[in-house]
Amino acid sequence: MKVRGLRLGALVGIALVASAHVGSPDTYFEGAAGAYPVRVIVRNPGVVPGLAQITVRLLAPRAIQRVLVLPVYWDPRTAAPPPPDVAAPVPGDSTLYSAALWLMSAGSYSVRVTVEGDAGTGTTLVPVMAVATRRLALEKSLGAALVALGAFLCVGALTIVGAAVRESGLEPGAEPDRRRTLRSRIAILLGAVVLALALLGGRAWWNAVDAAYRSGLYQPLHATATVRATATGSVLRFAIDDSSWVNRQRQWTPLIPDHGHLMHLFLVRAGGLDAFAHLHPLPLDSTTFETALPPLPAGTYRLYADIVHESGFTQTLVTRADIDAPSTVWHATDPDDAWLAESRQPSAVRHQQVVRLADGSTMTWNRGDAPIVVDRDAPLTFLVQTPDGKPATLEPYMGMAAHAMITRDDGAVFVHLHPAGTISVTAQETFLVRQPGDTVRGELGKRLATMEMGSGERGAVASGEVSFPYAFPQSGHYRLWIQVRHNHRIQTGVFDAEVSSAR
Amino acid sequence: MTAAAAPATRAPPLAAHLPWYVAATLVAATSAKVGIIWDISWHRSIGRDTFWTPAHAAIYLGGVLAGLACGWLVLRTSFTGTAEQRAATVGFWGFRGPLGAWVCIWGAFAMITSAPFDNWWHNAYGLDVKVLSPPHVILALGIWAIQLGSFFLVLSLQNRSPAERAPRLYGLLAAYVIGILLQNAATIGIEQIGFPNVAHNAVYYEVAAGVVPILLVAGGRAVRLRWPATTAALVYMAFSLVMIWILQLAPATPKLAPVFNPVTHMVPPPFPLLLVIPALAIDLVMRRVGPGRDWLLSALVGLAFLAVFFVTQWFFTEFLLSPHSHNFLFGVDHWDYSSRPGPWRYRFWRAETDPVTPRALVITALLAVLSARLGLGWGNWMARLRR
Repeated sequence: MKVRGLRLGALVGIALVASAHVGSPDTYFEGAAGAYPVRVIVRNPGVVPGLAQITVRLLAPRAIQRVLVLPVYWDPRTAAPPPPDVAAPVPGDSTLYSAALWLMSAGSYSVRVTVEGDAGTGTTLVPVMAVATRRLALEKSLGAALVALGAFLCVGALTIVGAAVRESGLEPGAEPDRRRTLRSRIAILLGAVVLALALLGGRAWWNAVDAAYRSGLYQPLHATATVRATATGSVLRFAIDDSSWVNRQRQWTPLIPDHGHLMHLFLVRAGGLDAFAHLHPLPLDSTTFETALPPLPAGTYRLYADIVHESGFTQTLVTRADIDAPSTVWHATDPDDAWLAESRQPSAVRHQQVVRLADGSTMTWNRGDAPIVVDRDAPLTFLVQTPDGKPATLEPYMGMAAHAMITRDDGAVFVHLHPAGTISVTAQETFLVRQPGDTVRGELGKRLATMEMGSGERGAVASGEVSFPYAFPQSGHYRLWIQVRHNHRIQTGVFDAEVSSAR
Repeated sequence: MTAAAAPATRAPPLAAHLPWYVAATLVAATSAKVGIIWDISWHRSIGRDTFWTPAHAAIYLGGVLAGLACGWLVLRTSFTGTAEQRAATVGFWGFRGPLGAWVCIWGAFAMITSAPFDNWWHNAYGLDVKVLSPPHVILALGIWAIQLGSFFLVLSLQNRSPAERAPRLYGLLAAYVIGILLQNAATIGIEQIGFPNVAHNAVYYEVAAGVVPILLVAGGRAVRLRWPATTAALVYMAFSLVMIWILQLAPATPKLAPVFNPVTHMVPPPFPLLLVIPALAIDLVMRRVGPGRDWLLSALVGLAFLAVFFVTQWFFTEFLLSPHSHNFLFGVDHWDYSSRPGPWRYRFWRAETDPVTPRALVITALLAVLSARLGLGWGNWMARLRR
């Protein structure tokens, strides 16, 4: 019945998986609510139903009357939202507003952010995945306090039972005789048996709730990947072999293309993180995808596959694959495919702020001198310059000015970012075009396909500068691959980052 | 056995003296019960809550008031109490206090224990995924303990008074607490015996036969009033009606999705069971068959309760589902914000899957007799309560 701040910094949780992305459960969005540029951050509570904390930052000075937020569940059959909440201004920061979002069902939500001010009313939608991602451990101090209180209650209850049988029926002043004392002891004994049974029952009940909760924790669909050699080069087969996908028992909605591709597959060589590919496998059927494998060096690779469901639910499937020998021939399955094998020593990458790209241009990370800290805005701004030092014009790469793939060296974190943040623009579009009658699976996907959306940021970026709204979720050593298109070629800049814990 | 039923003629009752701590526990028991009913209405009307909703505050007030009052009583009695004050107490680890005070203190500690446990539960498993959870059970046990402790305190006052001259106030207050305990049964059994739509189901009568006689019969045995069960049933019904009438007046807006039923005011609890009629039957039977023949009495009371309750509720709920009852007075046809309006509101539910069969009636009768027997045993013990 009580609700307190659910996002406790000191929670000792068993972090499992995030929703779309790996180990990075929060949502970062940057875009425009009408005439108001905003940056929105939604902190995933880790449980469902739960309270997600949302902050809305106004990125341009405007006279604001109020900021409204409203989470709407994806399914029109069950989405019947209450009135929106007014986000409260954060004291000491005139551009920041915050509120709590009540996410009551697991699945895909759009958070409608409305800004009212001197430029009228502007609205934007931020896709948010509500999934249970962690099971909270009982802190030792709290556990000890509960055990102490529980023991006191048990002993106290038995003492009261004993006193009730021994003395409560006596006239005032009378002393209990031996018979009453004996009966009192028997009552305590019987009470202890009843209490023990009740405690055992309670324990079994708690264990059952815990087991049911754990079984409901979100796990991305299970997948496997294999590499086989063919006459035309190596082929990577990616199969979604999760029974809930194959049998559709969980009523997953179909996949829809994101930036024109049903799947964005990332390969990262485990260990050195020195080889990387961004591929777009083609579907053979609803469970199997194939792509030509670029001549990546041999080794074990971590694979991350981003997919978007018609419901707006996005997820990253994770698996591994071994490449025994580099492919000798590569005919890219898709013109947007790109790969890179880093020839520099890891130490050379570690402190690099300017990297030379394949076409001779440079990419500079304007990271500043301040350390990068967990859960604080990361300075992810990059400038691409031509060999003569002028800003390079960046062409849209799959509808985006740039893509950033970030992973921690142990693979515990993997995230695929755009200048719009962690969200999938396609997921956002599903919410924009969804209508109350969209209750048949596949209908909305068909309409999306005919509407040729996937707009994103279609215009070229003449300044050569791109930035990504994000905060690193965990401390550690990270590698970043920043991909842009310049002169009709995909360029990839590689950087490293050390992220420290907040103090 | 100490006589429970009052004689037809008696000396004028003694002037009632209600100690402050007994009054405090009665207010606490009431506050906690009001808070629970209010909180349920809150969840059905508004949906989301915080730690500091007024309904929660009323529940906390019950725990704090009972705990502090009885804690202070125990400390004062233990360290500075007179011999007379100490004589009417029971011992607990060297401390002295009336039995009811110890039960109240235990209840307050149970409520305190449930708070951090419940908070952790929400953080770990989600916000009130189910109403019935281990921390909520501990909270409920704490609230029951406070109500029972208050009951014991009143009964010990009553029982220490001369049998023929016990102040009527004590009996009325004891019946009042039984009314609150009946409210607990209605709250917990809201799905089984709350809504009139389930009154043509076997489980409706089985649950009612299991939980109602034990309370009414215990009161009939332990409370010194001419019509103890009837009085307790009247209190129970009056409590419900007051809550129904007040809650309907308070504006409310749902704040949690999905909102299929846009309620504008607090959703009141269901109309109470018409317990006053079967309670009257219980009182009549218990007046004719006095103490000493408890198994016979249990059989008679149990069967009388079932017969009267069955006929009353079977037909009265048909009225409650008809348009004639859809008004402020009865407060029916108010539904949760998350329920989809439809003709189901005016039908009996599960009448085909859980019908009232002869077999179900036999089971119900056995439950009623057993419940009545337990009530007599409990009532006998409470009739002897002195401290």
